[in-house]
Amino acid sequence: MNYLRQLRAVLWKDLVVELRTRERTISMAGFTVLVAFLFNHALDPARVDVQDVAAGLLWMTIVFAGTLGIGRTFQLESEDGAFHGVLMSPTPKDAIYLGKVGANFVILLLVTLLALAVFGLFFHLQYGERPLVLLLVMALGILGFVAFATLFSAISSGTVMGDTLLPILLFPLLVPMVIYGVSATDRLLAGRPVAEIAGHLRMLAAFALVAVFSGAGLFRFVVEE
Amino acid sequence: MSRRLSWAGLLPALTGGIMVLVLHWLVFFYVPTEAAQGLIQRIFYIHVPAAWVAFMAFGIVALCSAVYLWLGDERLDMAAVSAAEGGMIFTTIVLLTGPLWGRVAWGTWWTWEPRLTFTLLLWFIYLGYFMVRSATESPERGRRFAAVLGIVGAVDIPLIHLSVVWFRSLHPQPVVLKPEGPTLPPEMLLTLMLGFVSFTLLFFGMTHFRYGLERTRIEAAGRESRDGGIEP
Amino acid sequence: MTRSAIGDPDSPSETAPGRVPALEATGLVRNFGPVTAVDDVSFTLDEGDFLTVFGPNGAGKTTLLGMLGGGLRPTSGDVWIRGTRIGVRSGDWRHRVGVLSHQSFLYGHLTCAENLWFFGRLYGLEDLETRVPDRLEGVGLRVRADAPVRSLSRGMRQRLALARTLLHDPEVVLLDEPYTGLDAHAADVLRGVLSSLKDGRRTVVLVTHNLGQGLELAERIFVQVRGRIVFDRPRGEIDAASFERRYREVVEGAAGFALADASPKAR
Repeated sequence: MNYLRQLRAVLWKDLVVELRTRERTISMAGFTVLVAFLFNHALDPARVDVQDVAAGLLWMTIVFAGTLGIGRTFQLESEDGAFHGVLMSPTPKDAIYLGKVGANFVILLLVTLLALAVFGLFFHLQYGERPLVLLLVMALGILGFVAFATLFSAISSGTVMGDTLLPILLFPLLVPMVIYGVSATDRLLAGRPVAEIAGHLRMLAAFALVAVFSGAGLFRFVVEE
Repeated sequence: MSRRLSWAGLLPALTGGIMVLVLHWLVFFYVPTEAAQGLIQRIFYIHVPAAWVAFMAFGIVALCSAVYLWLGDERLDMAAVSAAEGGMIFTTIVLLTGPLWGRVAWGTWWTWEPRLTFTLLLWFIYLGYFMVRSATESPERGRRFAAVLGIVGAVDIPLIHLSVVWFRSLHPQPVVLKPEGPTLPPEMLLTLMLGFVSFTLLFFGMTHFRYGLERTRIEAAGRESRDGGIEP
Repeated sequence: MTRSAIGDPDSPSETAPGRVPALEATGLVRNFGPVTAVDDVSFTLDEGDFLTVFGPNGAGKTTLLGMLGGGLRPTSGDVWIRGTRIGVRSGDWRHRVGVLSHQSFLYGHLTCAENLWFFGRLYGLEDLETRVPDRLEGVGLRVRADAPVRSLSRGMRQRLALARTLLHDPEVVLLDEPYTGLDAHAADVLRGVLSSLKDGRRTVVLVTHNLGQGLELAERIFVQVRGRIVFDRPRGEIDAASFERRYREVVEGAAGFALADASPKAR
């Protein structure tokens, strides 16, 4: 179907450009490692057992790194006005949006894997018998995050404030993701059974669904001239 | 036209205003003092109705925004921004009365009580709404961005509410802003109801006048551009 | 050749019984705040017409072209492409328009071929394995197919941009100052491609302030000054030399453009 082809084209293009510039990935990756480093020095091991707060720190790191990286999504498009050419094509605006969300998701997922590795290394975290479930939790959470962030990145890059506006617009809406994501991650890290987080997964999925659908529906209003 | 506008606004505004005065009299002289918290509990009759208006206002913002994007009629955006201003004012009232209540009743300025938490988030969503409106070079774009924000905010709010309430159930805290016992005595109920009605009327009156103001502003800008656009 | 006809604003005018004009503009206005960039422009073009729009800087030519291509929403007025009204939200007419703008619309980190493939996919084209190499050949960039666009000179980029514009064989081609910054070789290639567009099927609007190149291919001439079309004549009725003289006066800000002065070849 042509729609899917168009979507895939946008996704492919974003990933190829990112592969060749590596701009966002490197800055997000560097940020992740350095923040983990700072956290280690910000917490007094005598008073805080990092295992207790690791889930929260992990999610916040990903949120900050993600905001940093995704904020640049539309900046890169404005050189030579290439995005204008994309908007003038017959490709539906929601296909463009979903393609971008897909690319941002892949990139942030890679950064998440890095974060899990780095936090595991620095703070001696055990990922338990079900690392895939943990990955599922994180993936659902960041899907919703990426959907909102991509939409708001389009908005903020259309303002004079640029991506400094992005956190203000984005963070209040992330509360459900943070609450359920951290709680689920916490339980998994503590070795609790998967059944306990069924509700969390449902809510994270609902969050992702809401984000993706509202983004797809509203993107066209953000980018029209 | 302006005459009609001002009557439609004047009626709820005046009625609301008078009722608010009555409300204050009731709050200070009529309502019995609540046993556990003492005098400060009376702030409840301001705090809770204000919260109701704050959220209702956002619902109006979201609805007007959605129809604005769909139909493109600027008047809907004018209605949305008017409601948003009123909404933000009442949100601020909630955020001022809440900590005041908490401080006097329990000694803490802030508590992560769901209603307060939720209202703080709402305040930031309103802030984002206004910032995005004014941060664009083209005002039309700003209006569209703000409308998108209004809709996304409204869509996410149920999820935010669920998550915040659930979070609190995991981390129970001393119940600071406990408004009432198991049942409200009739005097309290009456005062509370008056609070709801008067604030709502006041809000609609304010919104109406604000809408009129916005309309005049846009008409003036339109006339200016027509005169200024022709070059010699 | 038809003169501008402002008919019923809700339906496009017909130039001959049963024939729909290729491009029609009715009452186009575009304001940017208090500034009126395009002030009530209306005209009709048939299939195969070649229109050149001249005008000094700031005349609103780019804005006009933006509206004709559907990239910019008019403050008021409408554009019809083959009888379909352009609505920024509907999509089908987009297949019929190709725009070459100041900006190249190209991705610097992708190769020439990749850029064409990408836009080809966006336009829903099927035969890209043959089409892409052909089009690159047509603008003399076949050898550079795998070079990233960043590494190309301005002239080469413009050639690629032209290939991109024509990739989906649009019926209406809009070109905004395409000769800007081109070296002689690139300008030649461009001229060649533009000549080939005069095939009777395609409708071209060329915006330029280069008189020589603009007059060369045009069949109809507009001059736009401060948002309005002040001059509208078929090419055949214009004497190049006197037109040029008068035009320079206009550009230097002297009197308005008087139609009588650019009279037919009278010595």
